Amino acid sequence: MLRENALRVKHSILGFSVGAISSYLLLSSPYISDESTLMLLIFNLLFVSLIFPLNGTLTTKTCMLLVGNVIVFFWSNLFSLFAHAATYYFGAIFSALYIILNPLINFVWIVSFWSVSLSVLANSEKRKSEAEP
Amino acid sequence: MIIEFLEAQFLILTALMIVYLVRHYVFTIAVLNNTYKGKKAGVRRKATYEPIVSILIPARNEEQVIGRMLQRMTELTYSKNKMQIIVIDDASMDNTGKIVEEYAKNHGYIKVIHRVPKEWGKVKASALNAGLKYAKGDIIICFDADYYPQVDIIEKLVTEFVDPKVGGVQGRVTVLNEPQNIVTRLVALERVGGYRIDQQARDTLGLIPQLGGTAVAIRRKLLESLDGWDESILAEDTDLTFRVCLAGYKIRYVNDAECYEEAVENWRAYWKQRCRWAKGHMQCAFKHSLKVLNSNNLLLKEKIDGLLLLNVYFMPILVWISWIISVLLFFSGLPQWFNALLTSTPIFFYSFVGNFAPFFEVGIGAYLDGRTRACWLIPLLILTFLYNIVICTKAFTDLLISKIFGKRIITWDKTIHSGSGNSYIMK
Repeated sequence: MLRENALRVKHSILGFSVGAISSYLLLSSPYISDESTLMLLIFNLLFVSLIFPLNGTLTTKTCMLLVGNVIVFFWSNLFSLFAHAATYYFGAIFSALYIILNPLINFVWIVSFWSVSLSVLANSEKRKSEAEP
Repeated sequence: MIIEFLEAQFLILTALMIVYLVRHYVFTIAVLNNTYKGKKAGVRRKATYEPIVSILIPARNEEQVIGRMLQRMTELTYSKNKMQIIVIDDASMDNTGKIVEEYAKNHGYIKVIHRVPKEWGKVKASALNAGLKYAKGDIIICFDADYYPQVDIIEKLVTEFVDPKVGGVQGRVTVLNEPQNIVTRLVALERVGGYRIDQQARDTLGLIPQLGGTAVAIRRKLLESLDGWDESILAEDTDLTFRVCLAGYKIRYVNDAECYEEAVENWRAYWKQRCRWAKGHMQCAFKHSLKVLNSNNLLLKEKIDGLLLLNVYFMPILVWISWIISVLLFFSGLPQWFNALLTSTPIFFYSFVGNFAPFFEVGIGAYLDGRTRACWLIPLLILTFLYNIVICTKAFTDLLISKIFGKRIITWDKTIHSGSGNSYIMK
């Protein structure tokens, strides 16, 4: 039990470090908007503090975290390009719609990605426990 | 001037949402820590305390499910000579009364009270109070007719009463007919968040676990001193929770005392049930908020949690108000802080619909329960979230109209149980 707890603390510390470095790198990019910045920070905080203490390999968790960060980056850019183009054609009405719906749409992928990550971790744990005699 | 006012309103609403978000985050972290410290949820001590218990089962037109429930009652492992089962047939128009009579004939510890239409109080609390008059046990336990408890649930619930400060104990509710359709699956996820995390965290952190309408145990003397259940409140369980706490007693939650429920099977039934819950909860908020604030029996953390719990059904209404304010603010020229706040609001939006916990809470609850595939449905909780905004608004409007025009809103919109859960028990 003590060894398992120590491992969890270790995973969490490493997770926070990876999350902090990844956030710093992405936030240094000139292509990331204000709303994406906040989304990225919230995603990383929730992911690291709630997923990293769970059972599972550090590699899986870190890969998931990094994939999530890459998605934030590309999603943010593609979506803001789409929004600019749509605002150009449809005017201020779309802008209003965008500002309201943008966070909700952003949230759809965050929740989906979170669910997939949890599912992957839970499945690997299940397989591991089934393989044990 | 108007813009500044709107900005201030938006800030206040967002701050409120952040408070609820932090609350759920703390709950999730608390349960995770508790689990990994090796304290298995709900398992505390072996049962050594065996008081006489009276089990109340109110039933109105429950012919599809009452037989299943009573059969289960006969299978309970608790000493039958220390158990009294009282079924309150609340002026049923179907065969409920006959089925119960049949069981009462064969089992001496089952008693049935038939209420005639004139006595029918139209609220569950009225039936429970009728049953309470005949109860002889030290501990009163309530089950709804559509539920299906574990065989050793009584032992698990009553053990907590060894502590004289404990006034009420709540068990866990799990959905029986979960695989039936998408509604039952989503309700099951909500239950996971509400019980596995919310209730467990409240118990762990010494806050106020909420007494539900079923799988609930309470001291008879305490209940009698409180004059039973309040028949003017639709959420008689939430009302009782706060009356127990305000009287200086503690409430415990036992996660491994499981009881299986037949969840609502379609969106219409979901609407009716949640509308009733929302109205009842709002009534409790009006009734107890000030009392909680002024109570000498509650600690500061209990007061904060109590107020957040009482007012939780108002938050979905504040969500759409904040949406309208954000549109107005948008057309008035965006303040700099606006974008960032608006970006974070969906997470907060997910965080305050009563038992319907935010996505991360449900996810961790499902993970701790070992339910790998259930996690896939978490994104669909946005449907119930949006639906609950409409439900709570309707409930609040009804309540408001009844206050202004003095109309009676206490009509129990009863959930119809089809007995679909029976097939899952047979398996």
